[in-house]
Parts: sequence; structure tokens; C-alpha cells
Amino acid sequence: MTALSRRGLFGLLAATGLPAIAQAQDADTATIGWPSDVAGGWDPNVRFAPDAQSLLKMVFDQPMDQDPSLKLIPHIVTAWKMAPDALSLELTFRDDVRFHNGDKLTSADFAYTFMGRLKAGHKLDIANSMRSVADIETPSPTTAIMRFKTPSPTMPVWLAFLGSYIVPKAYMEQVGPEAFAQKPVGTGPYKLLEYQMNARIVLERNDAYWGPKPKLKRIVVEIIKDPSARVAGIQSGQLDLTVNVPVREVARLKALPGLTGELNPIQRVVLLQVRNDEGFTDRNVRLAAHHAIDKKALSQAFYGGAAVPLSAPATPGTPGFLEDYTFTYDPKLAAELLAKSGYSVDKPAKIRMATTNGTFPSDFDMARAIVAMWKKVGIEAELEVIEISKYFELNRGNKLPEATLYGFDNATGDPEIYAGYLLNPKLPFSPWKDPVLGEKVLALFNVADEAQRIAGWRALNKEAAETGATMPLLQSVQTLVRKQSLNFTKYGNGWILGQTFSRG
Amino acid sequence: MIATLLKRQATALPILLIVSALLFTALRLLPVDPAAMSMPPNATKAEVEAARVAMGLDRPLPEQYAIWIGQVAHGDLGRSIHVRRPVSTLLADTLPATIELAVAAMLIAGSLGLSGGLILFALRDNKAEPLAETATTLMMSVPEFLWALLFIFVFGVALQALPFTGRLDPGISRPVLTGFLLFDAAWLGQWKAFASALLHLVLPAAALGIAFAPPIMRVLRASLIDIYHEDYIRQARLRGLSETRILLFHALQNAGLPTLTLMGVQFGILFGGSLLIEVIYAYPGMGNLMVDAVRNADLPIIQAVGLTYCIVVLTINAVVDALYHVINPRLRAR
Repeated sequence: MTALSRRGLFGLLAATGLPAIAQAQDADTATIGWPSDVAGGWDPNVRFAPDAQSLLKMVFDQPMDQDPSLKLIPHIVTAWKMAPDALSLELTFRDDVRFHNGDKLTSADFAYTFMGRLKAGHKLDIANSMRSVADIETPSPTTAIMRFKTPSPTMPVWLAFLGSYIVPKAYMEQVGPEAFAQKPVGTGPYKLLEYQMNARIVLERNDAYWGPKPKLKRIVVEIIKDPSARVAGIQSGQLDLTVNVPVREVARLKALPGLTGELNPIQRVVLLQVRNDEGFTDRNVRLAAHHAIDKKALSQAFYGGAAVPLSAPATPGTPGFLEDYTFTYDPKLAAELLAKSGYSVDKPAKIRMATTNGTFPSDFDMARAIVAMWKKVGIEAELEVIEISKYFELNRGNKLPEATLYGFDNATGDPEIYAGYLLNPKLPFSPWKDPVLGEKVLALFNVADEAQRIAGWRALNKEAAETGATMPLLQSVQTLVRKQSLNFTKYGNGWILGQTFSRG
Repeated sequence: MIATLLKRQATALPILLIVSALLFTALRLLPVDPAAMSMPPNATKAEVEAARVAMGLDRPLPEQYAIWIGQVAHGDLGRSIHVRRPVSTLLADTLPATIELAVAAMLIAGSLGLSGGLILFALRDNKAEPLAETATTLMMSVPEFLWALLFIFVFGVALQALPFTGRLDPGISRPVLTGFLLFDAAWLGQWKAFASALLHLVLPAAALGIAFAPPIMRVLRASLIDIYHEDYIRQARLRGLSETRILLFHALQNAGLPTLTLMGVQFGILFGGSLLIEVIYAYPGMGNLMVDAVRNADLPIIQAVGLTYCIVVLTINAVVDALYHVINPRLRAR
């Protein structure tokens, strides 16, 4: 009710057509309105938080990186060689990288970050991504060899993904993780000048940065959780750029002088996570539920048509995306499948569905639309709204309902990090526990040959859709509004990096 | 007087214990699993189970409570599940901001309330009285989040007169001393920061405080009307004292007692009501911390913030009690 009232109020106020007036601001500073803070303080190895990656990447470097089209590229690591059996990975590091405190980065820092910290008992989320690491050898200051317990073909990808940021061994050991999180030292293009949790991050250019020097001297990140306040912030000129504002606000704001707005498709899949039991035991019901969803209409209604409808859990341009495969929207077929199992509009199949409200744009409204589409073919869904914390709780306890609307983020685009997590029966994260598909998923984790691995995931993506193990809906969209005077580089995964900003 | 006050405050400890027990039990009865919440999505069941044991969540509830309250007594409020930092550090970072906001809001509510009360009293039996009463009703009826958004639109977006996010302008560094930004800036002589912090405080404090002014106005007005029927007011007039002198030195002092009690109660409510305002204004206080904690089922933070609210309310009660004794001669005489 509160949210509706707020939206209504701002809609009314927007109708007055007040222009955005640029405030006098230092041209060497950009102020961003960001919806969330860094989770786990400024220790970048502590938490996996997709929305914090843009912030962390300004202060820390990852061993590997991705270019705007998301291709894996060298960074601190200049060359890498995966063994044919994917049981070891040889890495070569740059020799000219210094931490913000002046210490030189060496392979010892890399080994400490991904192995030493875990051995020292630091509680880090990277313990999970580095689970297969048996040892890290450092034959020279610029080389390291990672040895794995099991084949780990996606390790190079993981070195550019969540939590994989190199921290300085000497400084961390000297001050401890607690103090580090308060006064972090990275090698990134910006240094942390000031931080107030849930409020403000002030970054200053690292003039000794080894890579291209950022054009702007200072980046100020205002943590503004309320979307209405972010809208007001950009309209008033107090912000230079903001993201995750309501889709309809983008259209309004971009019409104001001095502002521009974008709907950028990103590597986040909006999908229905499904169970293989209870009301979804019957494959016909699952497939009918999938065929009954008009994804194009959802995209048009909630993302202005910018979100690409998906048939498999992978986004366009990523290796797992099936260009020549479409899971059709066919309500007639849905009704026929349901009829085969004895269901109809008058005698509907009954399931439960969960959704969050406000976790990603239009989630609740989209869930209601899906429920309405299902009703037309003979599926009656009882919709429950849950908090994101409740989602994780239910997921871990294998208590999610038959269908759950969720936005799954995978900045790398690697197919393993989509289907390998969404359909892995060994992880509590997956509500799909069918052993037949599960065995195939687990087997693909051990495929070392890249071409074979990608082909395997592509086949599995298709099989998962055709058996009703997953119901991918749309490629998610990042909404962005900025001053026309601020330029930035657009990344396919939604990263907004201060080091790419320029004025003019 | 001090003995009386101390006697009254002796109840604070049992109240605190009862609240802590209720808080702890209620949170443990919620269907959330803090261990699972603390792990990343690709953690295995065994890893989640290990985290549960490490956090002591496998122990009986009374044992968990005894451990927690023992740690609290030693100043250890635990560790945040989500942020993974000591809760005491998080509270130390955010509590001063919320206190600063609540005090500023109370000052606004008090100033508006007292001046408005006097105006209402002056307008009694006047043709303008119904109009003034309607205005106070309107002030009370509009919820604080709506005031917040209206202020943002009017003073932030339309007039661009006041900032409405955070506590400082982008170009100004935060003076760090106690966490009370206005005090820190003034103490360190950073007047640019002081001015910026003050401007940033205006809109959230006004949005939070404005709804609390009308009850103060009405109580003060009603008290003054009652007091003006007392014999000593008539005698003061007979002694030839001016109306201003009667109001300021006789009536207002007595009418201030119920008003003070009301403001004490209001301050506790206002302190707790800062949650939504802090989120809307991106104000880095305890309310914002609490909203995040609830969203992430971060039980150690929720417990600590709940307990802090309780301590703040008890402290305010104690202060109001003390002020009451100072102002009220009858209580001083006991």
C-alpha cells in the first residue's frame, strides 16, 4: 500500500513536468545513486553479492576480467593455461601492479587470497567457489599454479566472477580482516577515501594505477534504496547517474532536458524455478504451465519490450543460448496437455507459486500476470509473496512451492553458472531434485574439453526446458538514467564502472 | 529527590531483561534459518549444517539465550550474519546518526508544537479557531513518509533548495570523531561540513517531526485553558500583572508539565519511527540498518537494535522523570 501510494504520488508530481536542473558540480566528480551497499564491508572475498560487483571493481582488481561484450580477457593475469584434464591451471601475472599502500602485487598475494585466507580460517564466500582447489604453488613472483581436486574447467571464469578479488597478504595479515574491511587496500583504479555504511562511498582516483587512468578524479556513490528517491535524485540534479528505477520513469526522465535513459538487457535470467514433485509431479502440467506463458507480452508490459523472451536458462550472446530453439507460447497446446492429465478450466490443476515484491523490477506484477495466464488454460495457482531472505530460507529447506519467480544473476554468462546451479540436485539452491537430469548436470562439471562442455550444457538447457525442469522467462533489464554530460561504458552484465566515466 | 529517581529507575533492569527475552524468543520462533542465510547459494547442505553448529543454533533455546545475554552483558552483541561485522561496530556507526535525526525532529516538533499551542490558545473562541484546528488535524493525518516525499518534491526537486540524500554534499569529507556529525564538524571547526550536515538534516527531521507537533499544540492549549481557570491566575491579574507575564511566568510553567510528559513519550515513538524516513532519505542511521537486517533475517542485528530501542526509551523516561522533578515543585518537596 505504502509503495503504491509513493508511486502514485510521484506519478502525480511527474505530471507537472518539472525539468531536471543540473546542479553546479565539480566536473571531475561523478555522483551515482546506487540501490545497495557492498555486502560484507570492504573485504571483497567475504560475500557473493552481484549488485556489489560494480563497487568492488573500482577498488580491487580481479585476476581475470571481462570486456563489455563479456568476453574473458587478461587483467592481472596476462596468460593462463588450463591442463587438458582441467586439474591444474597455470597463471602468469603482471609485474607492474602495486597495491594502494605501495606494496607490489605478486603471486604470493594471489595464493594467499584464494588459499591462505581460507586456511587461516577467514569466513569467506570464496570458500565455495574455490572448493575444488587443492593447492596453489608459486614458483615465481609472477607465476602461480592452481591444482584442483576435481576437474575445474570454469576456474578462469570464476577468477573474474563473484568474490574473486586479490587482496594484499602482508597488509591483511598485519591488520586482520576486521580492520581491512574498514580500510581496504586494493590495486584498483580508485582508492576508498570515505565509507559510511548504507549511505556513502567516496572513491578517489589511484594515480599509480597500472592500467588506463580513470578520467574522473572522484566518484561518490550515494546508497539510495528507495527507487522514488533515486528518481527524485536524478531529476533534481543531485545525482549524475542512477540505476534500477521503474521502467515507466525511464521514459519520463529521458524526455527531460539534460537527461537520458536506457533499458539495458543484462545477464540476469528471470525464470520460474520449479519442483519435480507435488503439483508439478506430472510433466504435462509443468509443460502446460510453460506453454501458457506469453513471454513477449510480459516483456512488453513490464520492460517496454526490451527484455528478450528466453526458452533456455541462458541469455543471448552467451555460449549456452540456443539461437535456433524456441519454447513456444501455445495456450491451446497447454490446454491439451492438461486435458491429457484430466485437468481443465473447470477442474484446474492446483499449484502454489511464490514471488518476491521489489527484488527485481515488476516481479510481483509479473507473477500476477502469470497466474492469470495459467488460469485461462486450467492451472490455478495460489500466489504467495515472500521476502528475499524467506526465499533463501525456503530454498535451502527444499520448501519452495511448485513454482517460484526469481532473477538469477550470472555476470560471466558461462552456462555452468546458469544450469549447473539452477538444476544441481546436490546444491540446496536447486528445488529441482530429479536424479536423472541431476546426474547429467553433475557429469558436466567434470568435462574438461571446452567445446564438449559447452555442447553438453546447450543440450542440457534444451532438455531441461522440454522436460519442464525450468521455465526461463525473460532476460532481465537494467534501467539506467544519467545526465547527458556523463558518458560511461555499457557492460553486458550491468556493471557500472567509474573508471569508464568521462564528461562531455 | 535523587533517591526517588534511583528507586524509579530500578525497574529498568528487569524491564530490559524481559524485553530481551521476548525479543530473543520471538525471533527464534520465526521460520528463518540464520545459518542458511549466512552461506552463499552454492554452499552444500553439510556446509550449512556446519555453520549452524558454529553459530550455536543447534543448542536448546534457553541455552542460546543464556549465552547471548551473557555476551551482551560483556558488551559483545554478536556478529552480523549478512555483513559479517561485529554488531557493536555497526551500532556505533549508525546510532549517533539516528539520535541526531531524532533530536532534530523533536526540536522541530517541540518548536512547532509550543508555538502552535500558544497560537491556538490565543485564537480560542476566535473565528479563526476552527481553521487552526483543521490545520493541526491535517498535519497529524498525513503520514510521515508522505511528508517525506512531498518535502523531497517541493524543496528538493522543484525548488532545489535543500539536499535530500545522505548527510553531506559529495565534495565534502566527513569529519570523524564521535559519529554525531554536527558536533564533530563544529568541534573540528569544519564549518562547511557543519553547514552541509545541517542542510541535509532539515528535510528528514522536518518530515519526521511535523506529525508530532499537533498533539503538543493541543495538549499545551488544553492545559493553558485549564490553568487560566485557576484561582492563582485570577489573583495574578488582580495584582496587576501583565497578560504576557502571567502567561510566561505562571501559566506556561504549569502547563508545561503534561506537555513535557507527552514529548517524552513522543520521543520514544519518534525514535522508532525513523525507519522509513531513513530509507527514503538514504540516511545512514539505525533505522536503515534495521530495515536491511529484517530483509536479510540478520537476527543478531535485529536483536541488538531492538534492545537499543528499549534502552533509549528507558533512558528518555529517566530523563523526563528527572526533568519533571526539576520543574514540578510538589515532587521536589516529597
